[in-house]
Amino acid sequence: MTQASPAPAAGAQLTTTKTTVEFRAALVAMAIVALIPLGVSNPYWLGVLIVSMYFAILAGGWNLLAGYAGQFSLAPATFAMIGAYTTGLLGTYYNVPPLLGIAAAIVVSGLVGLVLGRAVLRLVGPYLALTTLSFAEIMRLVASNTIDITRGDLGLGVAGLPIGRLAWYYLFLAVLVVLLILFYLLLRSKAGLFLQAIRDDEVAARRAGVDVVFWKTAAFTLSAAASGLAGALYAHFAELVTPELGLIAQTGLILSMAVIGGMGTLAGPLVAAFLVYVLSEWLRDVGGYQLVVFAALVVIFARFFREGLWGLAKAAVRRWRQA
Amino acid sequence: MAKFSRRGALRAGLATAAALALTASAQAADPIKVGVTITQSPPGSVVQGTQVKDGLEVAAKIINDAGGVDGRKIELVIEDTQGLPEKARAAVEKLATRDKVAAITGEHQSSAALAGIEVAHRYKIPYVNTNAWSDVVREKGYPEVFNPGNYNSRVGSAAAATMKELGAKRVVSFAENTDYGIGLAKAIGEALKKIAPEIEYKYETLDRASKDFLPAILPLRANPPDAIINLMLPPAAYIMMNQVYEQGVAPSAKTWLYDGSGLADYPDFWQNVKEAGKGMLVFGLYHPKMAQPPLGKQVGDAYTAKTKNEPNRLLFQAADSLFLIADAIKRAKSTEPEAIIKALGETKYTGTRGEITFAKDKGFSFNQWLEVPYVTFQMTEVNQKVGDSALVSQPGQPVDKSKLWKPAK
Amino acid sequence: MSAIDVDLAVNGFITGLFYALMAIGLSLIFGILKIVNFAHGEFYMVGAYAYTLVALAFGVPVWVALPIAFLVGALVGWATERTLMRPLYAGYTSWGLMRDEYAVIVTFGLSLFLINLVDKVIGPYAYRGPPLVETSRVVLGPVLISGHRLLAAGIAIAVILVTAALIKWSFWGQQIRAVSQNRLGASLAGIDTAKASAIVFMLSGGLAAFAGALLSPVINASPDVGIFPAVKSYIIVVLGGMGSVPGAIVASLLLGVIESFGAVYLSYQYRDAFGLILLMLFLLFRPQGLFGEKGREV
Repeated sequence: MTQASPAPAAGAQLTTTKTTVEFRAALVAMAIVALIPLGVSNPYWLGVLIVSMYFAILAGGWNLLAGYAGQFSLAPATFAMIGAYTTGLLGTYYNVPPLLGIAAAIVVSGLVGLVLGRAVLRLVGPYLALTTLSFAEIMRLVASNTIDITRGDLGLGVAGLPIGRLAWYYLFLAVLVVLLILFYLLLRSKAGLFLQAIRDDEVAARRAGVDVVFWKTAAFTLSAAASGLAGALYAHFAELVTPELGLIAQTGLILSMAVIGGMGTLAGPLVAAFLVYVLSEWLRDVGGYQLVVFAALVVIFARFFREGLWGLAKAAVRRWRQA
Repeated sequence: MAKFSRRGALRAGLATAAALALTASAQAADPIKVGVTITQSPPGSVVQGTQVKDGLEVAAKIINDAGGVDGRKIELVIEDTQGLPEKARAAVEKLATRDKVAAITGEHQSSAALAGIEVAHRYKIPYVNTNAWSDVVREKGYPEVFNPGNYNSRVGSAAAATMKELGAKRVVSFAENTDYGIGLAKAIGEALKKIAPEIEYKYETLDRASKDFLPAILPLRANPPDAIINLMLPPAAYIMMNQVYEQGVAPSAKTWLYDGSGLADYPDFWQNVKEAGKGMLVFGLYHPKMAQPPLGKQVGDAYTAKTKNEPNRLLFQAADSLFLIADAIKRAKSTEPEAIIKALGETKYTGTRGEITFAKDKGFSFNQWLEVPYVTFQMTEVNQKVGDSALVSQPGQPVDKSKLWKPAK
Repeated sequence: MSAIDVDLAVNGFITGLFYALMAIGLSLIFGILKIVNFAHGEFYMVGAYAYTLVALAFGVPVWVALPIAFLVGALVGWATERTLMRPLYAGYTSWGLMRDEYAVIVTFGLSLFLINLVDKVIGPYAYRGPPLVETSRVVLGPVLISGHRLLAAGIAIAVILVTAALIKWSFWGQQIRAVSQNRLGASLAGIDTAKASAIVFMLSGGLAAFAGALLSPVINASPDVGIFPAVKSYIIVVLGGMGSVPGAIVASLLLGVIESFGAVYLSYQYRDAFGLILLMLFLLFRPQGLFGEKGREV
């Protein structure tokens, strides 16, 4: 099922199956990720994978908002930055312990997402994109310029957690899996249908009785909270927060992962996050053309392969089954 | 008399031979890896990164051509930080964990250094700070970090002394909105308060990403100060200088333009500022006419032969960084981090700029070479090479006013 | 009005002229396709590079390099429309009703692609374009200005006026305005809408590239040089009303002057934030801008 085809009673059934298939595939991918440390022990590469998980959470959150609910926000990286600064500032100025700081980050990012979501309710397409883009840039400028508080481009030092790299690895993985399950349950329920209805045709959805206001706001809030959580975790992992976290280039990376993986699919963005980030680190030693390639892939996939790698994989499996 | 079996002797003999062979090959073949974190792509200063890289490579070649350190060659492992603190953190992390380097050096930007030293401190790896001027790097007091380069307080006192010698009454600094710029601006203010409290001083913070500084410059036209100090890096610095000149503010008969950021060392300086740079006074860490130890001359000539460019201060700072590491390893007779750190603390080494020792007092002087030499010189013609400029003060000497040039209006 | 205010006003006005040159093309694209081209800044960047490299590497005189920059921009604009904009026209099923979102993704991706391509192929260093004249300082009453900036301002005025006239009175200008008002109706009336779109993209690319070239002596060509004019253009296009060329011109001049005064009298550090805040406010409360057509709500 690739587009908004008419949804008879069996439609709900089809959606469930599709989502469940994607969920199962995503779980398999997560299982593979869980087993990697058995073979790889170098802290450097574990670190790369941890950052990939950071991006996987962000890509997954953005996918929920844009791929499923159709709201193309250009601010995912900003919410990560907000989450990171929340826990960093609370820790630095009020000695708030990291776990509380992370919890606070979720709440703060979620709240900001809620407010932004409500503010942009009436905006679509380019207007929504522009508003979220301005929001993102304003936030980054504020973080950069309030040097006395945030230490600007210098970076804010953040307390780490007294755990080793391997523990961090499984902590990030656990959070990723929990979020995956959460998203799956959400999308499998009526909420999932509502969100996709809004994405495909908002006017029709409203006429059919869907509470567009509530669901759009909910999507924004959830996506923002997830991003904030990722940002806060990253802050304690890297022990440094800089406005760089909120750069448009980071949003570009997140979008690339979602588009290349396959927007509107559960597994696509998650798997693509790993592929894209690991490749980009690996290729960096070999000349650094990776960003050109990823950007080109985004354009090509958007133009020709809307369902991304997931869609290509599905087609390949189908062809293999028929052979 | 102990009896020993032939087998035992044979086994012992083989073991000894094997051990000797292994140690010998280890000693001969095993290079000493030194990690380098520099900017090789934007948004950081690629020009600076390249100058540091060239300096390190020249020094490495001099060391290796002389047989290396106790027979082991120096191998540089270079990481690109892009001038970003987050990337610098990741770079030091990578060098420490993946490449397992003996020491880390090369950093030339304060914000990147501040992030990098945290990681170096965590892994207890020696970190020789090549060019981060920020006092905070020293004030942290990390025993792993050593600073043979310039420091903000030095520029602060130098600039203040120069302002006093010029007879300026009102001074304005344009600082970029980074810790570097603001730190420097504050350091100058502190120094002025101490030695010339009668001088009126203020600083403006400018966004280094901005393309237009007229709103900050126009208010000065009505009441120009006696000196404007530049504390910005290119490209913003060039835009600012051009606009300051275009508005007739500086360099002019009334107002000196004083550069505290080493702009004159940039290869694209004249191409970008043309007339606006004529008459600029420069706080310099290097001038071809200044006195230098023989190692300095050797490094300078090797650099010119390799790159076809005139030497610059970063080259010497970088070369000294590597020479210090090699010297420490030699004295410690080990590449273990704690041994190198201890040896670095006891340094008494004549590098390319003078004899280097590290002070122990807490604060900005911790592990800092206090007597970093500096000069003041003035650009008197457009497209003038640093070597041809007027050396207005030698290290340790006040400004020679007879050498100063002032535009007609 | 004190002397400094005259200075600020004149400088703000001139900055506004350059903003207008950058933004008109974006406004036109929105008018005809109802999309925001997120790669608009890269058209500017391409022009800055074309001008600078052609003049520096091939020794071409500046007055020839300028039109070359325009042509290069027009070419890139045309190529973008031909290869990527098809799905916006009726009948493309993959994105269905999400054509706006497609435009966002594909132009955003194009922007990333162009920036990184230039960064890798040409290099990350900034290149300073040769100025039109070498005079550093010209006196105009109370105002001091560099020779190049003065000349560039004059050229900008001329180009803006010519473009506005073309849109208003030329044959294709009228076709474009017809398509902007009602695409279906225009095509029923026999207008070649695809060709109109192509022309708009070419004009947009050319104008942005021209702006990039004119400003390259001050804002040197570098891979991410386009981000700054792009953000200004978005602000202007919304403020002036999407699709309105006169609106874009007025909004540009206003923004230039507001930023100029705001920087001195309000806050220097946040001067780039003024425009962004204005943008957000307009998008939230008056999306049709000052002069645009109403009705972009769901």
